[in-house]
Amino acid sequence: MANVFIFPTTSLILSDLVARFGHTPLSAAMQIREIVQTPGLESPPLQITPEDPKKGLRWAAVEVPAGVRGRMSLYGPLLDRAEAAIIVNNADFSFGCMGCARTNELLMFLIRKKGIPVLDLEYPANEEEGVEFVAAIKRFLDSLPGGRA
Amino acid sequence: MKAYTPLLTGTVTKYVFVESPEMTPSDLAIRAYEISQGVMIKETCFGLQVTGREEDVNRIIDSLRALDPTHIFVKDRGFPPGDPRRCRANLGGARPGYFGHEFEMGLVRFISRGLSALPSRRPDDMPRPPVPEKRERLDAARLKEIIGSQES
Amino acid sequence: MTRVRIAQLSCGPEYSGVQKEINDAAAAVDAEIFFPDLKLADIRQSFSEFGLDVRSPDLKLAIARAKALVEGRVEADAVFIATCFRCAEAAIVRNELRRFIHEKSRLPVVSYSFTERTTSGTLLTRMEALTTIARRRALLAREVQEGITMGVDSGSSTTKAVVMKDNRIIGTGWLPTTGVIESAENAVSEALSAAGISRDEIQAIGTTGYGRFLVGEHLKADLIQEELTVNSKGAVFLADSQHGPSTVIDIGGMDNKAISVQDGIPGTFTMGGICAGASGRFLEMTAKRLGVDITELGPLAMKGLSQKVPMNSYCIVFGTQSLVNALAAGSTPEDVAAAACHSVAEQVFEQQLQEVDIKEPVIMVGGTSLIQGLVRAMGDLLQTPITVPPYSQYIGAVGSALLASGFIRRE
Repeated sequence: MANVFIFPTTSLILSDLVARFGHTPLSAAMQIREIVQTPGLESPPLQITPEDPKKGLRWAAVEVPAGVRGRMSLYGPLLDRAEAAIIVNNADFSFGCMGCARTNELLMFLIRKKGIPVLDLEYPANEEEGVEFVAAIKRFLDSLPGGRA
Repeated sequence: MKAYTPLLTGTVTKYVFVESPEMTPSDLAIRAYEISQGVMIKETCFGLQVTGREEDVNRIIDSLRALDPTHIFVKDRGFPPGDPRRCRANLGGARPGYFGHEFEMGLVRFISRGLSALPSRRPDDMPRPPVPEKRERLDAARLKEIIGSQES
Repeated sequence: MTRVRIAQLSCGPEYSGVQKEINDAAAAVDAEIFFPDLKLADIRQSFSEFGLDVRSPDLKLAIARAKALVEGRVEADAVFIATCFRCAEAAIVRNELRRFIHEKSRLPVVSYSFTERTTSGTLLTRMEALTTIARRRALLAREVQEGITMGVDSGSSTTKAVVMKDNRIIGTGWLPTTGVIESAENAVSEALSAAGISRDEIQAIGTTGYGRFLVGEHLKADLIQEELTVNSKGAVFLADSQHGPSTVIDIGGMDNKAISVQDGIPGTFTMGGICAGASGRFLEMTAKRLGVDITELGPLAMKGLSQKVPMNSYCIVFGTQSLVNALAAGSTPEDVAAAACHSVAEQVFEQQLQEVDIKEPVIMVGGTSLIQGLVRAMGDLLQTPITVPPYSQYIGAVGSALLASGFIRRE
């Protein structure tokens, strides 16, 4: 079983398919769950405090906007654990956790720099593309360590 | 700053969404209540949320998935259902993640099609999606040639 | 009091740890933040109609929400736009949305770029102004001062008091702020004695400025109001420009305000948390270093040429360094004074005036508006004549006295 980074990290489709084909999707929800279940100082809505953008300094310098560094404090630890990644390149309407294009660019770069297996895709726009999409993901996941291939 | 004491620690919440000609979100909820055994079930627009200890949640999800495997989709959620920090009633509008669901739920029928079609295809016949397009730009020298040929 | 509903258009505050600060600042002025509700289809359509093709989905969402507000599909009393400091993409959206809302609706709007260090305290005055505009349109519509009223402006550098009667200023008081209440008391006594009026003849009192709450409580004021709305009101009253558009610039001791005003009511505004090199404090320092009184700095600067001295710094320390260097290199006090005025005007121009739409007349107010060199430098930068109304240094006190007359009980 491999830890598979998914982009968008909030994706229902990717999260479902990765788990369905026997691997662990690394999703934004896991990180959010961890921080909302950890005691500390109250900082609604996400329990990200002003300290978190400082943790993000590990991935982005201080002149990078706070929102990028705060988001990186969420996804950076996921990147550390990632053994493979599936990237949907035309996720133009993924808000909130995926709402900042600069963070997303940095994330994509760091994934590629890591040198792990990456599958690049676009969202399907019709049934045949749906078949292609699922087939590509299955083939990719099966080829990973612990996969069914 | 006020101290923060988390609620429902040690639980997980998962979304179970359905997009099926055979089953509505409320059908799904009825089946979930039948097997819930005290695990929290909450209906939502696209299906339901299941909250509890991870093994209990997974047990329920496995049974639900079996009802219509190619039309039921599951993902983790960071917050428990009805959390005031994410609740539409408190925010005035949907939290940003909702639009993401709205977007992907518009596409899952294609995924369902993929999931149902694949088992009947031989591994060699599995289609490959095109690699996301990166268009080559026209070479500047070639452009110059074209302009030159138009002018003459 | 009805709760004011402020629509938030933003990218990043939840991820920077500052959403709570925004909520707290709003709650402190009895307002609530909400997020206009939309459907995905609306977001796509509005984003494409607006035509600003940004990449960040949360900015697309902000654009769609702004359109929903302007088109009346979602109701709000005011709009707060917040994006990350140092994000160019967001800065473009922030400016365009502010302008769009200002031009196409009557909703008051304020924009802010935050860092993880932004606190509710920093946001409070802005939220207060936003809610006042939304809540007190009737009060702000007042154009004539009636009866006998007093206004007190407890600022970070100076405390000002004004007594008004039948739409005229009849007494003023002006002192450096030392003890907040003590300075207010003295300024009030000064104004009362200049007016020849006893304290119990005053029918209503308004306070503004940093010390407004403390002084307001002490004087049992009828109106305690932040300086953005009060100064706008005072400025258009004194400049006799109560109708149509105008722009009010107030370079203060601690922060600067630039307010885009329509019919005497602020539409958009910025309040500068920029450094002391762009404040009245730097001009005070300059005067001190040149060995002249602050009142002489303006005339001195008018005789000099700013171009002869390189000086351009947000930071008061670096600014002072340039000043010392210039004097050591033999620059004349006139040129140095002119350069200091130009430097302050330039910082305000670059940092703040880009965030509001400059519409004529441009009215400069506050103590620094008496420094002619600064007014000239600002006029040069904006390429427009600047109006400095009489009593411009008492702007907050005048605005307070004017608005306070709305509280006089009719017999």
